[in-house]
Amino acid sequence: MVGEPDRQFSFRGRPRSARKGETLLSVLSRDRIPLLHRSIQYHRPQGPLCGIGHCTGCLVRVNGRPNVRACRYEPTSGDSVTTENAWPSPSWDLLGAIGLLMPGGVDSLHGLRRPAVATRLYQRLVRRLAGTGEPPTDAVSRALSAPAVERSPEVVVIGAGEAGRSVAAALAARGITPVVVERGLHPPTTDGAELLGATTAVFLPPPAETGERRFTLLAFREPAQGVRIDARSVVVATGGYDASLLFGGNDRPGVLTADAALALAAPSRPPPFHEAVVVGGGRRAAEVLSSCGDAVTAVVAPGEIRPEVVRAASDRGILLYPRSLLLRAGGRKHVRSVRLRARGGGSETTIACDAIVLAHRRVPHAQLFFQSGAAMEWRPGVGAYAPTVSANGATSVPGLFASGSVAGISPSEFAHHAETVADAVVRGVGPTGSAPSPTPDVAATELVGYYRELLRVPGHGRWVACPCVDVLVAEVERAVRSGYRGIEVVKRYTSLGSGICQGRYCLPDALLLLSILEDRPPAEVGYITQRPPVVPIPLAALASLPNPPALEVHP
Amino acid sequence: MTFARDSYRTVVVGAGIVGLFTAYHLARAGGGPILVVDRGFLSSGASGRNGGGVRQQWETRGTVRLARESVQAYRRFGLEFGFNIWFRQSGYLFLAENEGELARLRNVHALVASEGLPSKVLDGDGIAQLIEGIAPGAAVGGTYLESDGLLYPFPALWGVYEAVRSLGVEVALGVEAHGVEVRDGKVAGLLTSKGPVATSTVVNAAGGWSGDLSRRSGLEVPNVATRHEILATEALKPFLDPMVVRVSDGLYFSQSMRGEVIGGLTLPHRPGTSRGQGSSPAFLTTMARALVGLVPRLGSVGVLRAWSGFYDDTPDGFPVIGEDPRLPGFVHGNGFGGHGFMLAPATSRRIALAALGQPTDLDPAQFSPRRFLAPTPVATVERLQLG
Repeated sequence: MVGEPDRQFSFRGRPRSARKGETLLSVLSRDRIPLLHRSIQYHRPQGPLCGIGHCTGCLVRVNGRPNVRACRYEPTSGDSVTTENAWPSPSWDLLGAIGLLMPGGVDSLHGLRRPAVATRLYQRLVRRLAGTGEPPTDAVSRALSAPAVERSPEVVVIGAGEAGRSVAAALAARGITPVVVERGLHPPTTDGAELLGATTAVFLPPPAETGERRFTLLAFREPAQGVRIDARSVVVATGGYDASLLFGGNDRPGVLTADAALALAAPSRPPPFHEAVVVGGGRRAAEVLSSCGDAVTAVVAPGEIRPEVVRAASDRGILLYPRSLLLRAGGRKHVRSVRLRARGGGSETTIACDAIVLAHRRVPHAQLFFQSGAAMEWRPGVGAYAPTVSANGATSVPGLFASGSVAGISPSEFAHHAETVADAVVRGVGPTGSAPSPTPDVAATELVGYYRELLRVPGHGRWVACPCVDVLVAEVERAVRSGYRGIEVVKRYTSLGSGICQGRYCLPDALLLLSILEDRPPAEVGYITQRPPVVPIPLAALASLPNPPALEVHP
Repeated sequence: MTFARDSYRTVVVGAGIVGLFTAYHLARAGGGPILVVDRGFLSSGASGRNGGGVRQQWETRGTVRLARESVQAYRRFGLEFGFNIWFRQSGYLFLAENEGELARLRNVHALVASEGLPSKVLDGDGIAQLIEGIAPGAAVGGTYLESDGLLYPFPALWGVYEAVRSLGVEVALGVEAHGVEVRDGKVAGLLTSKGPVATSTVVNAAGGWSGDLSRRSGLEVPNVATRHEILATEALKPFLDPMVVRVSDGLYFSQSMRGEVIGGLTLPHRPGTSRGQGSSPAFLTTMARALVGLVPRLGSVGVLRAWSGFYDDTPDGFPVIGEDPRLPGFVHGNGFGGHGFMLAPATSRRIALAALGQPTDLDPAQFSPRRFLAPTPVATVERLQLG
């Protein structure tokens, strides 16, 4: 990137510059995690949480296009970037008064239903406040139209992480040229495979019952190009992501997942924090310490802290707080501290910090398996659903395979597993034997105990259970108290999980929460139907895709 | 779980908006004890899967009147049931792409206006004022009725659900109805996945599953379950007030109170397919093309999720309301063709009357189950089965 001129763009009217390959969020996070967004209902300061294109915390408007994720957008010269849903600015938003005036939340189900004139006025006001970005301009949509990409390979591999690349290489070695679909903006290539980068797979319905039983995969390439792939076999290696955690102020700017911290710290640039608290005592926490340990001040874990994390921390003089409850993040517009309490009712401590990095729990990116009708199972270890996978990576859907961590394979086994999967794909064999079960950082059973304690903390009802839609814990508790049971109904009652992240960051916690509130195992709380698309896909991308030969309607 | 009692005066099959509203009117008329059974969870069927439109523009007087009465009921809903359904009367706009379609809409307008509803006929310019960013020339004209509107379906379900429970109605979820038990040529009970239950009256308000229940009860009916898909986009600041419906392909869309654009269109249906409520690539691409074709600026807007539900269609497009003449005690409250939510308040009142053995003011030629038993084919057909 040496010799490449910086890209000059404007952010809120002020000139900024980006290097090639640098995301907008990365540019805006040079000093610290920025405040770009206000929550949709209460206008709370909301920070970029996930760093991988799912949460609402970095939504901005770019050249008249609303709801662009700063973490997935690389500025080009002349871009005009503005913020949304805050007036006059995300830092000083007058609408923040809504949250301050109604600290217990707005009861949109029972409130505001007086007749006649008042109702109309309420509705008009509420409607004005709804939504995030202003609608796009005509010019934006015209500029985005591009011819669709269509491929019909033998095999498509979804995910070009280490696991996906291993599978692609193993297939190439067996004479198959797979198409590899990868969401990352600059993925590494694999010899013998065709790589579609910056491409997100969003919809994998079950294969057509008639004829050849080929899969149809819908995807889109940034910014809005439609992609359609027909393949005989599909290998999904979508890995996992770092989950959120329930505590006061858990969407404050400065609270971020390990995914975000690692994305913003890498490569070869200082992290956007100086004294972070890392949450978690397992492998993921160790990764954060090895990548940006110099900017970490303490490690806090819901459970025990593993020896490798203890070693990495003591080398740097980082304080350790095992078996601790995270009560709340301090600081109004940015994290300034975190308040802890020892598990089991110990004393409280406050640690000064400028970021809270969540590295306590990694859950699988399993949405495509749900869509395709694959048998899923509750993994009590991670506290999430994952496909039922046999030792050779086969799922219950013929032709659909899983590899890598989404299949419960540990990184040291990726290469070996890839060979097994490639053999099974080539021979077209189905499930054989049972798969290994993964070892999580914190067992979800332990997290249930953690949440049981947390639900006794005074004031927890005001905590945010679903940041995208601004659903408070009290609303979930109220739904259960009123007799609405199961995640599907509680979702519809509270709107939890219906926001832009498709429930990624509220569901893992909500399932455990409901299991406690309803007093039954998490697996009985059910799961939200994982509807297409996995990630919002622009209408223009869909519109550019030709219809299948017959209007094939899948079950 | 079994039921609280061995026997009920009435068992309603289907805890959707029609079944719950019917139970509500029955309970208020002293028709208890009442049991409502549903195969899924609350809101798992079409009542939790529709686009929330409530309109009064129809091709027959009987339907216009039921719809007008329903609109009045939804206006009072918050006070009566304690839940805010966010009923917003910001109009329904029907679009015509050619003069033939516009002529048809003019007839609808004449009928609706004759019922005292201030319907308007608009030209292309009038439509452009109501749809910001519409493609030039996309519509030659249309009709608009401002008192039509949109509501948020879920709280309406919760409201009626809580009301019937406080009136002593038992609601059993996750219970499948397998058919009725017949004794002496009359309904004697309902067979369910949780065992039999005695009753002299069964109300079939099972929506997309109502044809199955009738047939399993030995009654041949013309109801067909057809799957319709729908999608929602990410939330934008308000830019569209009315529900828009295009006559040619059934494209419909509106902007919800939360800011999402929600809509669908009619795809050719393959009968005999599974009852899965999933989505298809064909719908997503066809719908996206239709929507972006009409409002090009929506091209960069992301589709957030897609889902589907079942319409319970009848050959003439009208619901089936009343006791089945072949089986005393078997009362139909079905065949709403995707419009159960908008007609539920008014129709369920009549369904309850029928279940109590009382006469209704409905025209039997249009609504009675008898019309399909007549040797001559049905006379009128509702073609405005859109949106």
